[in-house]
Amino acid sequence: MSAPTVEAPRRVLSWRPGPVALAGAIAVALVIAGELVSPGFAGYGQLVNLMRVAAFLGVIAIGQTIVIIAGGGGVDLSVGKVATFAAIIGSRVMAGDDGDLVPAVALALAVAAAIGLVNGLGVTLLRIPPFVMTLGMIGVVQGLILAYTGGQASGRAAPALTSLVNGRLIFDLPGLLFLWAALGLLAVWLLRRTTFGWNLFAVGANRTAAELSGVRADRTLIVAYVLSATFAGLGGILLLGYTESVFLDLADQYMLPSVAAVVIGGTMLAGGIGGYAGTAVGAIVLTVLQGLLTTLDIGGAGRTVVNGVVLLVLLSLYGRQRRLRS
Amino acid sequence: MSTLLEMTGVRKRYGGVQALDGADLTAVGGEVHALLGPNGSGKSTLDKTLAGTVVPDSGEIRIDGEAARIGGPRDAHALGVAAVHQQLSIVGDLTVTQNVVLGLEPVRRWGFLDHRAARDRAAAALERFAAAFSGRLPLDRPAGTLGPGEQQIVEVAKALAREPRVLVLDEATASLHKEQVEVLFEVVRELRAAGVLVLFTSHRLDEVFALCDRATVLRNGRTVGTVELAATGEDELVRLMVGDLPHPADLAVAPPPAGAGAAVLEVRGLTTDRLRDVSFTVRGGEVLGLGGLQGQGQSELLLALFGAARITAGEALLDGEPLPLTSPARAARAGIALVPGDRGRQGMFASRPIQENLSLASMHRRALGRFALRASSERRAARTMVDRLQIKLGSPADPVSTLSGGNQQKVVIGKWLLDQPRVVLLDDPTKGVDVGAKEEIYAIVRALADDGAIVVLNSSDNRELAELSDRVLVLFEGAVAEELAAAAVTENRLVSSALRLAPGESL
Amino acid sequence: MNVLREIRLPGVQLSGTATVAMLVAAVVVNSALQPNFWSAYALTSNFATFVPLVAIAVGQTIVVLSGGIDLSLGAQVTLSAVAAVQLLDGRLDRLPLAVAAALGVGLACGALNGLVVALLRLQPIVATFATSFVFSGLALVVLPTPGGSVPIEVTTVYRDAVLGVPVALLAILGLALLWWVLRRHRVLRHVYAVGGDPEAAYASLVPVARTRVLAYVLGGLFAALAALAVLANTGSGDPFVGNELTLASVAAVVLGGTALAGGRGGAGGSILGAIVLALVTNIVFFADVPTTYRQLVNGAVIILALALAGIPALQKRRPAA
Repeated sequence: MSAPTVEAPRRVLSWRPGPVALAGAIAVALVIAGELVSPGFAGYGQLVNLMRVAAFLGVIAIGQTIVIIAGGGGVDLSVGKVATFAAIIGSRVMAGDDGDLVPAVALALAVAAAIGLVNGLGVTLLRIPPFVMTLGMIGVVQGLILAYTGGQASGRAAPALTSLVNGRLIFDLPGLLFLWAALGLLAVWLLRRTTFGWNLFAVGANRTAAELSGVRADRTLIVAYVLSATFAGLGGILLLGYTESVFLDLADQYMLPSVAAVVIGGTMLAGGIGGYAGTAVGAIVLTVLQGLLTTLDIGGAGRTVVNGVVLLVLLSLYGRQRRLRS
Repeated sequence: MSTLLEMTGVRKRYGGVQALDGADLTAVGGEVHALLGPNGSGKSTLDKTLAGTVVPDSGEIRIDGEAARIGGPRDAHALGVAAVHQQLSIVGDLTVTQNVVLGLEPVRRWGFLDHRAARDRAAAALERFAAAFSGRLPLDRPAGTLGPGEQQIVEVAKALAREPRVLVLDEATASLHKEQVEVLFEVVRELRAAGVLVLFTSHRLDEVFALCDRATVLRNGRTVGTVELAATGEDELVRLMVGDLPHPADLAVAPPPAGAGAAVLEVRGLTTDRLRDVSFTVRGGEVLGLGGLQGQGQSELLLALFGAARITAGEALLDGEPLPLTSPARAARAGIALVPGDRGRQGMFASRPIQENLSLASMHRRALGRFALRASSERRAARTMVDRLQIKLGSPADPVSTLSGGNQQKVVIGKWLLDQPRVVLLDDPTKGVDVGAKEEIYAIVRALADDGAIVVLNSSDNRELAELSDRVLVLFEGAVAEELAAAAVTENRLVSSALRLAPGESL
Repeated sequence: MNVLREIRLPGVQLSGTATVAMLVAAVVVNSALQPNFWSAYALTSNFATFVPLVAIAVGQTIVVLSGGIDLSLGAQVTLSAVAAVQLLDGRLDRLPLAVAAALGVGLACGALNGLVVALLRLQPIVATFATSFVFSGLALVVLPTPGGSVPIEVTTVYRDAVLGVPVALLAILGLALLWWVLRRHRVLRHVYAVGGDPEAAYASLVPVARTRVLAYVLGGLFAALAALAVLANTGSGDPFVGNELTLASVAAVVLGGTALAGGRGGAGGSILGAIVLALVTNIVFFADVPTTYRQLVNGAVIILALALAGIPALQKRRPAA
């Protein structure tokens, strides 16, 4: 038999926009709508500001992407609380002093990773459904926060952290955006160019086949939850740099948007399909949408409803389960 | 008698497999009609289209001459069809009574359950089988606590309680004892006398001859003929099922290279839930076949050797070293590879690129620090396999689901070949694969053995076993029932060896 | 290890003995720590705080038995409660209207969940997670800050006793009775069948989609009953009141011996499980755990409760198949 024949380039002919392109188009459309409703919405400074807000969500959603790709109903609802906790620890340990920046960040991330480890062990060894496990973890972390702070957050961001996050670099862009880009590239590399990433996709696409291909699925899943909590912690630290001082529910509201950003970006909740580029665009879409809703003078309650509806609509577009009848 | 059921040109495709390819069936009321064919010939799928759990892609079903549209089990019920499938529709946590009346519970006002009427109906349906339960009907026991044979009886009783005109029995005797089978046959004969059409599928030919009036034979999803059983011999029926293609009986098989250096896999007393004390030895360069009726523990044996089944006793030694049978990851590290029987659920990652499917088992060898992958070396590795196995693809970046069944299977095999295994376990590797790709997979298997690998091959296709194996172990109910040496491995011998092992006769 | 096991929610159940043992232990510890635990006053006020969790646990049980899960039940409680309290406006004559509104909201929320899960075929966990935001956002629209008032007569009766039996205890018995009645209805039989084996149920002519919808509707009904209990207990509306209830309801279901995989268990156990959880909160309070550590202990208890079902020794032995 001859060498493998290459089929006609039908992929070009039947090209349909992928979820990433679709999400990008939605983001652009929202910006245009914003400009129409409120001239100045699409100004350079305003856009940079939106991107900066999106960056915190974008970093926290890195971990969410990893956990959702791992499949099996994988999701991490504790990311918001973990981010808050990391910021609280960081703030108290660095206490506005550059000299303590490194140990503060290290301690905050180590605690976050430990929380992720507990999530991973609960999900794999005790077989607690991820939604339930990480929802329960919210209560525990909230308890840890109260126990650690006594109900009163203290300390403040080290100046070095603040200037890293807020300082203007090239094109008047804040350092935060460069950090987001670097972390995003790290995430893409991790998912696409490491054995961990390929194992992760394999476990998410078909856990049984992964185990029968010699992949240690439980270990892969545990690492996924540890990474999720660690990236959440990192997001919390960056948020600390931005706000300079913390409060007890600093990053709590990132729970739903982190899941929504992943879904908008085309990562399947069923697992095994997706990537970080889509999530990053998803974070931008959600941020622009929030900006637009704020411009339209829709309050927090209304925005929550819209977020929920957006997630439902996207799920019904992407996330159907199979029928009973074949 | 007038035609009760007429099915014509029924087609059904599952992914890459054409399960039914224009099957026909005509049967009259008051007959017991056998539906026969080798594994994978489409019998069960045809049964399911009638029961409404599978909707065919095309084809016509007529009942009493009227065109029938069966879009779901409720339609089938309305037409008077009830079915007992291989995969039971028993809900284990409900009681026997609750199962028998499930979906058609007798109710009083407002939809409240009428327990007494339900019990009466269940008792009436099960009464005829009282002998099978040694007299006491377990009406209030959770169905899941019954033995497999008793559950099967409950399933039959449930179908009978629906008072069908057409009763489908698909391997309904598979887990029954001899006495239970006798009771079932009595009931079927009563139904026949009452004008009911019974469609009967069984792999036990003696049962078919004992019970059925006519038989329709399927092969590769197509009807090859309908015969009067009274006028048909067993040999003739087997030939109709297997087909009368000339058999390459004298395929020259080189004797296994028994010389020094060849690896040896020794399995001693391996026992699991479904395996009983399996022992054998196989050498490098040899293909050991696993035969017998399907579902007699062949897949379980391969999974056990790969560390994917809970082993209660026994061990396996590779070159005298005990194999780790505790996890697939450790088995793979020890040089074992498994091409599993259910490609879609166990073998491949349908949504992932062909490239990743091929790399997965071996990529850690090529990665920097077992972690950082280099795109170029992964591409090169995949390209090697694509060339060596002649996988026909568009781009390695396409999802593996875009390939044909045969090429998908080659990807699953290629995943392991990149890991250079010493033992290759193949579970029905050509199921749902077209003829051309089959031959290519045969060539791969032979090449593996020629290169000195130990190959253990399970196959539902006896011709394939005969063609590829140096020796065949015939399994029955989880134990080795017979070992056929090279000269004895012919298709006819395999079929009769498997079929003759009806319960009560041997073991 | 057997890698061929189905990857789905755990099918294990806690045994009834484990549930009852935990209840006894909780009662013993609580009565040792809480002064006058057995006094009429303490009993009445304890039972008054139990009712909402008991009600929502029964609702969650029905959804879980059907093979689903409802993470929006707490938000449904909130939405029903704020809708009712806004209509009530402190007036006793509006009580029937408010009760009807609460029930209507609960049923509508349940129906929405059911339609989304059964007809759009979304994974129940994520779908109800999404609807929970819709419901809690709407609750904030209806009542942006805690407020509203319940007629004093309602709160008084709720904390009263009839012939020495606390009204709240009667409410719990009423919920148990409602469950007992439902168990005798065809719908619950179908819920068990669908949760136990949806494919077998479908092949057996059970209307699978309709049954799933009804399970969520019943969940919403019990959420509405929980909302009424919340109002009667606290006397005012709070747009965040249901937040903590969702997870507690899942924990109560697990503690009560219902398998999260569906098809096995019952609300009787969940009622006991809910009482155990409520008693633990009491114990934490009376054990002089510092205020700042209370939430940590409560959160840890819930995680431990969920983990318990993963411990083989405490599991109900499944009959051999």
